[in-house]
Amino acid sequence: MRAKFSVPRICTSFLLGLMCLCYGCVIGQKWSQNYALLPGVTASDPAFIDNKLETIGQSQRKKSSGSAITDLEIPSEAIIHLPGKKSIYRIEIHSTNLEEFEVQAFNSRGEWEKIYDQRTNKDRVIDIRLSKVATTSGIKVVVRRTTEDAGLRRKNIQLDRENVETSDGRRRRGRYVYHLKGPTTALAKIAEIKLYGYATAVSDQSSAE
Amino acid sequence: MKHKNRLHLTTLWRVIPALLIAGIVFNGCTALKEAQQRREKRILEERNASTLMLKRPNATIDAQSGKSDHYTLKFAEDLQGHPDFDEAAEREEFTHNALIYMESLYEAMHELFGFQPKHKIHVTLHDAYRGNRLAAFTSTEYRSGMSDGRYVKFIKSIHMDFPMQMYEKHGVRVHELTHAFTNIYYIPVWFSEGIAVLIQTEYAQGGLHPKFDGLQGAFLRVDLDGVNQLESWGGHTENSPLTQWRYRYAYTLVSELRKKYGHDFYIRVFELMEADGLHQRLAGNMKTSFLVYYFSQAAGEDLVPFFRKLHFRVRKLTKEDILKQIEMDSQNRRQ
Repeated sequence: MRAKFSVPRICTSFLLGLMCLCYGCVIGQKWSQNYALLPGVTASDPAFIDNKLETIGQSQRKKSSGSAITDLEIPSEAIIHLPGKKSIYRIEIHSTNLEEFEVQAFNSRGEWEKIYDQRTNKDRVIDIRLSKVATTSGIKVVVRRTTEDAGLRRKNIQLDRENVETSDGRRRRGRYVYHLKGPTTALAKIAEIKLYGYATAVSDQSSAE
Repeated sequence: MKHKNRLHLTTLWRVIPALLIAGIVFNGCTALKEAQQRREKRILEERNASTLMLKRPNATIDAQSGKSDHYTLKFAEDLQGHPDFDEAAEREEFTHNALIYMESLYEAMHELFGFQPKHKIHVTLHDAYRGNRLAAFTSTEYRSGMSDGRYVKFIKSIHMDFPMQMYEKHGVRVHELTHAFTNIYYIPVWFSEGIAVLIQTEYAQGGLHPKFDGLQGAFLRVDLDGVNQLESWGGHTENSPLTQWRYRYAYTLVSELRKKYGHDFYIRVFELMEADGLHQRLAGNMKTSFLVYYFSQAAGEDLVPFFRKLHFRVRKLTKEDILKQIEMDSQNRRQ
C-alpha cells in the first residue's frame, strides 16, 4: 500500500509541532526563584539581599592604600556570595545612582571574571540578561561611575591659593592649586541585587531545602 | 554442549577484564570527582575568608525610634542640621539601613569571637565628634561594687560615636564594633587596638595600617627603661608620634600569634577568659602578664619568653598568682 502525501496535512502537522516547541520553550524558560534569597547567602551589605526595596545598601571600597590620591582610582564593589554554585542567566540590580559598572563572577579558579559591563544607565532597575550562562558561587558589581560623582567632585576638589609665609612672618599670596577635600566618586546605592537562573524541577527542589 | 560451555567461558573471560577496566575507570572518576569537590570546597573557603560578608539579620528593627535587637541609634544635634539629614524622613531611612547593616555585623562578630556583649550598644552619629571628623570612638562604661563579699566590675553601657564621615567607612564600623565586643574583658589597649585592626584589615579589608615585616630589630621600639612602647599606650585619644607605629606593631603582633596558633586562637583566649570570669574582679585594666597567661593556655605553650624577647615587661603567672593579686587589691580597697 502506498502512503498518500497530503501537503495541507503536512503543513498543519508542521505548524502544530512548531507551536508545541515554542510552548515548551516558554514553559521551560520560567525564571527560577531569586537565588540571593536562598539560606546561607551573604553580601557585602545585607540590604542587597533582604528582599526589601525600601532598604538601601552601599557598595564598599574593599581596598585602601591610606592615601586619598591613590584611592581615587579604586572602584567600590557590591558582592554577593552564594553557598554553592548556581547557573545564573539574569541579574536584576535596583539602584538609584548606578551609571557605569561591570559585573564579575567568581570562577572555579578562585578568580573574579568579567561577565558583563555597561557604560551608561539611566534606569532604576537594571535587568541584565546574560548571553552566556554564569555558573558561579559569587557575583560582584564593580562600580565605575555613579550619577553623584560629578557633584562630589565639585564639592571635594577645590581650587585654593597656596599661600606662603615669608621670613618676616607675613603671608604672601601663592599660586592656585587644586585641593582634595574628600572622595571624588560616590558609593553606589543599591536596594536589591536579584540573581535568577531557569526554573527546573531539580533547582526548585534544592532551593526548597 | 561442550562447545556451548567453552563459549560461555570465553565470554566470561572477555567480560571480566572489561568489568575490571570499567571498575578502574569508574573508581578513577569517583576519585577525580572527590578531588574536584575538595578543590571547590577550598576555593569557597578561601573566598569566604577573604572578605567580611554579612547575612540578612534576624533582628526586629524599629526605625521610628532607632532601635533594634542589639542597638539604639540616634543623630546628634549637629548632624540634624546637615542638609542630608534635616528631615525626619531622611533620618528614618538612614536609621533603618544602618540598623540592618549593624545587626548583620553584630552576628558576624558573634561568629568571629564566639561571644557577644550582653548590653545594647548605643550608636550616635555626629557631623563632628569632639571637634573632629576623622576619629570614631567606642567607650565602655562600667561600675564596680561588692558581690558575695568580692569586688566585681559590671558593664554599665557601651557607646559608639561616629562622625558621619567615618561611619561611611565600613572598615571603621568593623574596627569600632570589635572594640565594643572585646572591651568587655578590660584587655590592655595594645591588644584591643591590635585585634580591632586585624579584624578591620583581614576580614573587612578596610585597614589603613599595614603590617610590619617583622617584630624585632628595626621594627621594635622601646622606651628608656627598655620596655616595648606598646605597653605604655593610652589609646587612640593619645596624640603621640608613636601612634601610627603602635597601630602597625600591635596589628603585626596580634596577626603573628593568630598565624602561629590558628584562626580560632583568639576565640579560645576569650573562651578561657569568659570561663574564669577573673577579668571582672581585677582592679583597672588587665595587665599584659595576665593576658599572656591566657595566651599561653590557648596556645598550649608558655608565651612569656616570646613576649620578653619583644621587650614586654611580663612575668609568668599562675592562676594562684592572679587570685592572690585580686585578693590583695580587694583588701586594700576595704581598708
